[in-house]
Amino acid sequence: MTDSMQFYITTLLIYLFIDIIGVLGLNLQFGVAGIINFAYIVFVAVGAYTAAVVTLGPDSPGNFQHYMFGANWPFPLPILAGGATAGLLSLVVGVISLRRLRSDYQAMVMLVLSLIATLVASNWVGLVNGPAGLAVIPQPLFDQLGLSSLEYQWVYAVWTGFLALLTFLFVQGITNSPLGRTLRAMRDNDRAAAALGKGVVGLRLMIFVVGGVIAGISGAVFVEFIQAWSPGSWLYPETFVFLAAVLIGGSANNWGVMVGTLLVPVGFLEATRFLPPIFYTGFIEAMQWVAVGLLILLFLWFRPNGLFPERPGRFRHKPVAPAQPEAAQQ
Amino acid sequence: MQQLIPAIGFGLITASILAIAAVGFTLQFSVTNILNLAYGDIMTACAFAAYLANHAGVNIWICLVIAALFGAVFSMVLNRYVYFQFVRRGTRLFAMIIVTIAVSLIIQNVLLAIFRPTFFSYHADAGSSYHFGSMVFTGSQLAIMVIAVIAMLCVHVLFTQTKLGKAMRATATNPSLARSCGIATDRVIDVAWLLSGALCGIAGVVLVLNTATFSETTGAGFLVPIIAAAVLGGIGQPYGAMLGAITIGLAGEISAALISPAYKGVAAFAILIVVLLVRPQGILSEVADAKEVAA
Repeated sequence: MTDSMQFYITTLLIYLFIDIIGVLGLNLQFGVAGIINFAYIVFVAVGAYTAAVVTLGPDSPGNFQHYMFGANWPFPLPILAGGATAGLLSLVVGVISLRRLRSDYQAMVMLVLSLIATLVASNWVGLVNGPAGLAVIPQPLFDQLGLSSLEYQWVYAVWTGFLALLTFLFVQGITNSPLGRTLRAMRDNDRAAAALGKGVVGLRLMIFVVGGVIAGISGAVFVEFIQAWSPGSWLYPETFVFLAAVLIGGSANNWGVMVGTLLVPVGFLEATRFLPPIFYTGFIEAMQWVAVGLLILLFLWFRPNGLFPERPGRFRHKPVAPAQPEAAQQ
Repeated sequence: MQQLIPAIGFGLITASILAIAAVGFTLQFSVTNILNLAYGDIMTACAFAAYLANHAGVNIWICLVIAALFGAVFSMVLNRYVYFQFVRRGTRLFAMIIVTIAVSLIIQNVLLAIFRPTFFSYHADAGSSYHFGSMVFTGSQLAIMVIAVIAMLCVHVLFTQTKLGKAMRATATNPSLARSCGIATDRVIDVAWLLSGALCGIAGVVLVLNTATFSETTGAGFLVPIIAAAVLGGIGQPYGAMLGAITIGLAGEISAALISPAYKGVAAFAILIVVLLVRPQGILSEVADAKEVAA
C-alpha cells in the first residue's frame, strides 16, 4: 500500500470514529430520549474551540490569531476541558429551553441558537479569532512520541477508535439500563412517564448534558487532528448530517447509527471529497447536499425507522405462572 | 439621535419586507400546521425566477408579478406532491420539520448547482432619492413600502370580507369542524399555499431589490427574522405577524445603528428566543391558545 493511500485510509478511519462518537451522543439525545437538538453541532464546536485554545498557549499581542483563555495544557486535559465546557453550555441551554416548550418551538429555539452561535463566533473576533478561525493547533503528543507523520496517523486512528468504543459502551449501557427504559418511556409518552413518578424535566436535562459532553469530546478530538477550526466548519446544516446518520441507521439503535455514520458523513461527504471536479469547483459539494436531502426524504418515506429499527424490548424472564390455588382442588 | 432617525427609515423598509414574508409564512402555518423551514429557500428560488425574466429584458415590476406566480405555483406543488404526501402517510410533526429542512437543503443546493456560487443583481433603476426629514429613501424603497401596505390591506380584506377568508380562518381554528360544516378544506389548504407562495415570491424580489445583490443563501439567511416576526406576533396570526415585522425590523436597524452593524441579526434572534421562552403564544394569542398542536 502506498503512503498516500495509507494516509487516505487512516484519515477516513479517524473521521469515521470521531463521527461515530458525535452520532452516538445525538442518538442518546434524539433517538433514546426524544430531545430535539438542532443545535448539536454548536456543542461539538464549543468542545473543539475549548480544546484548541487550551493547547495553543497564551495569546500575545503579536500573534497572528487572537483568542481568549489561551493555555498550554498537557495532552488529555484539553479533551476533558472540551467535554466539560460543552456540558456546561448544554446545562445552561437545557435549563432555559427544555422546560415546557412545544416541540416545534423547541426545534426553532435550537435552530436559532445554532445561527446565533455562528454569528457571535464570526463577529466577536477577540473570542476565537472571528471568521478566520483558529489554526496551527498542535497535535497531542506529536513531539513526545517521535513518530513519522504516517505512523502518527495510525496511532491517532487507534486512539479515536478506542474513544469511539468507550463512547459506544457508555451509550449502549445507558440505553439498556433501567434508566434507558425510563428515557424511552419518556420519549414515547412523557405525560404517562410523569404520571408514573418519573422526573421528566430532570431526566431530559441530564441526557441533554450527557449528550453535550459527548459532542464536546468529539469536537475536541477532531480539532486536535485537523488542527484548524473556523465558523465555516460548523454551520447549522452539519447537524443534519448527524441527524441523517441517526435517521438512516435507525434511531435509538446504537449499532444502526454506527452503520448510518459509515454511510452518511463518511461515505457520502468525506469519501467523495476526492472525486475529480466536474463542471466547476463547488458543483460536487452542492450535489452532495442535494443527495443528503434526498436521502433523508427517501428514508422518511420508505423506512421511517431506519435501516436497523429499534428492537422492541423483551422480558428476560418468563412470566411466573400463577400459583395454583390448592384449596380449590380438594 | 442623529443616527437614530435614518435607522428608523431603514427599519421601516426592513419591516415592510418582513411583513410581506412573515404574513405569508404565518398564513400557511395557521392553515396547514406545517412549519415550513424551506420558506426562505422558496424566496430565493422566486428571486432567481425574477432574475431570469429580468435579464431576458422584462421590466422589474413585471418580474415581481412573475415571481409571485412562480412562488404560488411552486409552493402549492411542493405541498401537494411532497409535504401533504408525508402528512398523509402519518409522518409526525417533528419528522415534518426534518422533511422541510431536507427540502430546503435540496432547493438551496440545486440553485447553487445551476447558478454557481456567485452574486447576482437585477437590472433595475433605484430611482431618485426622496428626503423625509433626515430619512432618505430611494424610489424603489418607497415602492417596496407601498407594495407592503397594499399586500397587507389585501390580506386584511381577504380575511374579513370574503367567504374564502372566513373558510381559511375556520380551517385554521378547527379543521375537522370546518370540514363537517361543508368547507372544502383541501381546496382551502391549496389556496393557503398559493397565497403564501405569492407573498413569498413578492418578498423574495423586494428583499433583493433592497439589498441589491443576492446569492443562493439570501432567502435562508432571512428566514430567522421571518420566524421571529411570525412567532412574536403569535404564530398563525396575520395581524400579529405585521406587528412582529415592524418590531423586528425596527429593533434590528436601531441596534445596528446604536451598537454595531455586525449585531443587526442578533437583535432579531435575541427577541425571538426571549419571546419563545417568556410568551411562546405571542402577543396576539386568542386563537393560538386554543390550538395546541399535538407533538
